[in-house]
Amino acid sequence: MRIITHTCPQCGTIVSANELESSRVMKCPGLSCESVLRFDDLSDEEQEFFVNHREQYRL
Amino acid sequence: MKGVLLSGGTGSRLRPITHTGPKQLVPVANKPVLEYAIEDLKEAGVTEIGVVLGHKGREEIQELLGDGSKYGVDITYIVQGNPLGLAHAAGCARDFVGDDDFVMYLGDNILKQGISELVESFQQGDYGAGIALQEVDNPTQFGIANVDDDGNVTELIEKPDDPPTNLALIGIYVFSNAVFDVIERLEPSWRGELEITDAIQTLLEDGNAINSHVVRGWWKDTGKPEDILEANRLVLEDKDLAREGRIDPGATVQGRVELHETATIEAGATVRGPVSIAENSVIESGTYVGPYTSIGPNSTLEGVHLENSVVIGDSTISTTGKIVDSLLGRGANVGRADELLPEGRRLVVGENSQLKL
Repeated sequence: MRIITHTCPQCGTIVSANELESSRVMKCPGLSCESVLRFDDLSDEEQEFFVNHREQYRL
Repeated sequence: MKGVLLSGGTGSRLRPITHTGPKQLVPVANKPVLEYAIEDLKEAGVTEIGVVLGHKGREEIQELLGDGSKYGVDITYIVQGNPLGLAHAAGCARDFVGDDDFVMYLGDNILKQGISELVESFQQGDYGAGIALQEVDNPTQFGIANVDDDGNVTELIEKPDDPPTNLALIGIYVFSNAVFDVIERLEPSWRGELEITDAIQTLLEDGNAINSHVVRGWWKDTGKPEDILEANRLVLEDKDLAREGRIDPGATVQGRVELHETATIEAGATVRGPVSIAENSVIESGTYVGPYTSIGPNSTLEGVHLENSVVIGDSTISTTGKIVDSLLGRGANVGRADELLPEGRRLVVGENSQLKL
């Protein structure tokens, strides 16, 4: 199963695509990091793959 | 070599303790379980650690571990979100691990001997993975490995009816970078998770050698209350315990007792080790604290008989009853009902609590 993640450019915290997709826009969960992370931060190809296989990433 | 420390999961078997915090922060001998894993990784020379977080207790775990500097390690956080399996958690760590090998350590596991031998054993050969094994009495309840004379794994079987060995997989693995491509090829199991045993089995089928290391000494998965008590007993049995706090004349203290410099055992109290008493806690007159007990910070014991138990902290316990084999959550208070009428016990009990009265 393809696992897609995004790394916060400010603090290096790594967030899985399923977490980004569920929030769409989220404050970076890294310690004291003020960055805002978005599902849109993933490449178009990654977003499309995730959306097309969304069920895999749900329990 | 990097470390990936798994700190997700719901902790459902530890409710109600885990209603208010992650299972990895439940203390054993007054230290969160997760800190034992950090120390094991550091001792094995692994100082770059990715901590994988689920939905529960993210902030508490980050608050405790910080950037890792207080442990002499460098921590990166990895948010897995949905608990989609151990192999998914490992896959989330791919960018963190880069081209390295890595140790994967389940954050609610605790073991006596550390992981240095496992890591060294893996590094001595050209292995796809290394797995820690332990002999168990009930192999039908575990994932079991079959190994050849050289210790190479030949087969993995989940909860076999007819186990070929009694060597169970415990929650500590070493992986080469090859595992990431294997994880990409895995499909979720019947329970919707990417299984780490499937990843190891696929590594094996791809022709990779899988090293095994049989762990000597005890190992505990601290997933249930009785496991916490057992781990507490095992750690107190082994740990160097220092008496730094105040012991008043007239107090009886026997055996090995760890007493924080701000903790007090008052005259008329009896403490029989091994026992750990954390900061700002007071053992008052008439109290008996028996072996294999840990009293967390800011707690007061007034006349209770308490043994083989863990008090997480911020508690006042003044019952005249005997409390044994118990796990008390943070801020739990147990008073006395001796003079109250009508006679009987008064309980305010949260969801999923377990009492034997």
